[in-house]
Amino acid sequence: TAGAALLKFSRGGLVRDLMRSGVIKPQEKPIWYDVYGAFPPKREPLHVKSLIRPCTKKDDTVPEIFYGEDAVRARFFVLYGMGPRPFDLSKSNFVSTCQRFVEKYTEFKSYSELDDATAFEETGKALLTDGIVLRRRGAPSVRDLQPEHFLNSPVLTGTGDELIADRRVESGSRRATPGPSHTP
Amino acid sequence: LHLKLVTLHHFFQAGSSPPNHRHLFPALVVSSLFTEKIMNLPLEKPDFFRVSELFSLKELFDARVHLGHKKGCRHRLMVPYLYGCRFDQDIIDLDQTMEHLQLALNFTAHIAYRGGIIVFVSRRRQFGHLVETTAKDCGEYAHTRYWQGGLLTNANIQYGPGVRLPDLIIFLSTLNNVFQQHVGIRDAAKMNIPTVGVADSNCNPSLLTYPVPGNDDTPAAMELYCRLFKMTINRAKDKRRQMELLHGLSAPTTPIPSYPPGQSTF
Repeated sequence: TAGAALLKFSRGGLVRDLMRSGVIKPQEKPIWYDVYGAFPPKREPLHVKSLIRPCTKKDDTVPEIFYGEDAVRARFFVLYGMGPRPFDLSKSNFVSTCQRFVEKYTEFKSYSELDDATAFEETGKALLTDGIVLRRRGAPSVRDLQPEHFLNSPVLTGTGDELIADRRVESGSRRATPGPSHTP
Repeated sequence: LHLKLVTLHHFFQAGSSPPNHRHLFPALVVSSLFTEKIMNLPLEKPDFFRVSELFSLKELFDARVHLGHKKGCRHRLMVPYLYGCRFDQDIIDLDQTMEHLQLALNFTAHIAYRGGIIVFVSRRRQFGHLVETTAKDCGEYAHTRYWQGGLLTNANIQYGPGVRLPDLIIFLSTLNNVFQQHVGIRDAAKMNIPTVGVADSNCNPSLLTYPVPGNDDTPAAMELYCRLFKMTINRAKDKRRQMELLHGLSAPTTPIPSYPPGQSTF
C-alpha cells in the first residue's frame, strides 16, 4: 500500500519529490517543510528493520560504569552494612555516611603512605571522632552495649551540629558520581 | 463524567491548506513582505526563540532524565544514546539529550510560530492529567486515551472530508500500555506528520523525526518535559504576535489556536 511505502522514504525526501513533480502545489506546502529543511534532525527518521538473528546482539558495546571509589564502597558495605544513617534521596546534595567514609579514605591515601587496610581503619576512627558510630554487621545490638557508653555517645548528647555539618558540601571535593549507589 | 480533552476541534475546520497566504491583503508587496519578515527571518537564526535558555544539563540531571531501564529491557537502537550501564541500570547520555532536546524544542517553536496544530500524546495513565493540562496551558491539544486505529490514516472517513490533521505530534511516552510502540508513531510517519518523542532506553527511536533520549517514567522528568514544551510553544506564539505587530499587520493573519480547547465528541 502507499502507506507502507511511505515508511521506506524519509519524510523530507518524499514530500520534496512530490513538490518537484508538481503533485503538491506550493500553496499546499506543509507547515513543517521549510522548518525541517532549515533544522533537520541528527538522523533521518527511517524505519530500521528488526534483526531476526539473535547472534547480532551487541549489548557489550554499552560500557559498565565503575569508579575507583567503588572498591572502597564495597568494603564499607560488606563491613558496616548500610551505616547508621539512611539515605535521604530528596536532597540532591546529600552526603551519605558511605560517601563521607570514601572521601576521608581518599584523603588518607593521598597524603599518607598507609596501605589499604590501615587507611580503612584510620578512616573508621576519624569518623568516630566526628561523631559517626560505625557498627560492624553482626555486632551486638544497642541493648547489649553498656548503658553509660550509649547514653554518653556524641550521637545522643551532641547539639545536632554534626548532622548539619554532614549536609554541607565542600565545593572542591564533589566527585561526578550519579547519586547514591545501590547496595551490591 | 467524561472529561475528554479535545484533539479534534480544528479537525472540523474545512480545508487542509496551511494558512500561508490569506487573501485579506491583495497587494503583492504586503504578501512578500509578510513572507520575508515573518516567515523566513526566524529560519535564518540557529536559535531564534532562544530555547536553549530554557534548560541546562544540571536541570536534566536533577530531574533524573538520565535514568534508563534495566539492561535486560534495553532496545538495541537506543545503544548509541546510552552513556553506560551502572549496576545493570542503563544511564542515558545527557550530552546527547541536550542536543536532541534543543532540536526538538526549536522545531516545536517554529511549528507553533507558524500556527501549526500540535498534539501531545501519552498513554501513561499516571501522567494523563499532567499532559492534558500542559496542552491546555499552551493552547494546543492532547490525546491521552485509547488511540483508535484510523485516527490519522482514516481521518477523512471517520471525521468527514477535508479534516485538518495535526502538524506536529509530541509523544511524551512512545510506548502504549502493553509496552509496544504507540501506533500513532507509525501512523504519523505514514501521513507525513513530523513527530517529537521522549525515547527511554526500552523504546525504538527510529521512526521519530526528533527523538529525545530520556527517562519517561519519573514524575520529575515528565514535569520537566511538559514545562519545557509549554514554555516553548507559548514563547513562539507570543513572538508571532509581536512580529505581526512590529511589521504593521494589525490583525494576525494566521489562526493561532490560542483559545482553550473545548470538549471533544470522540
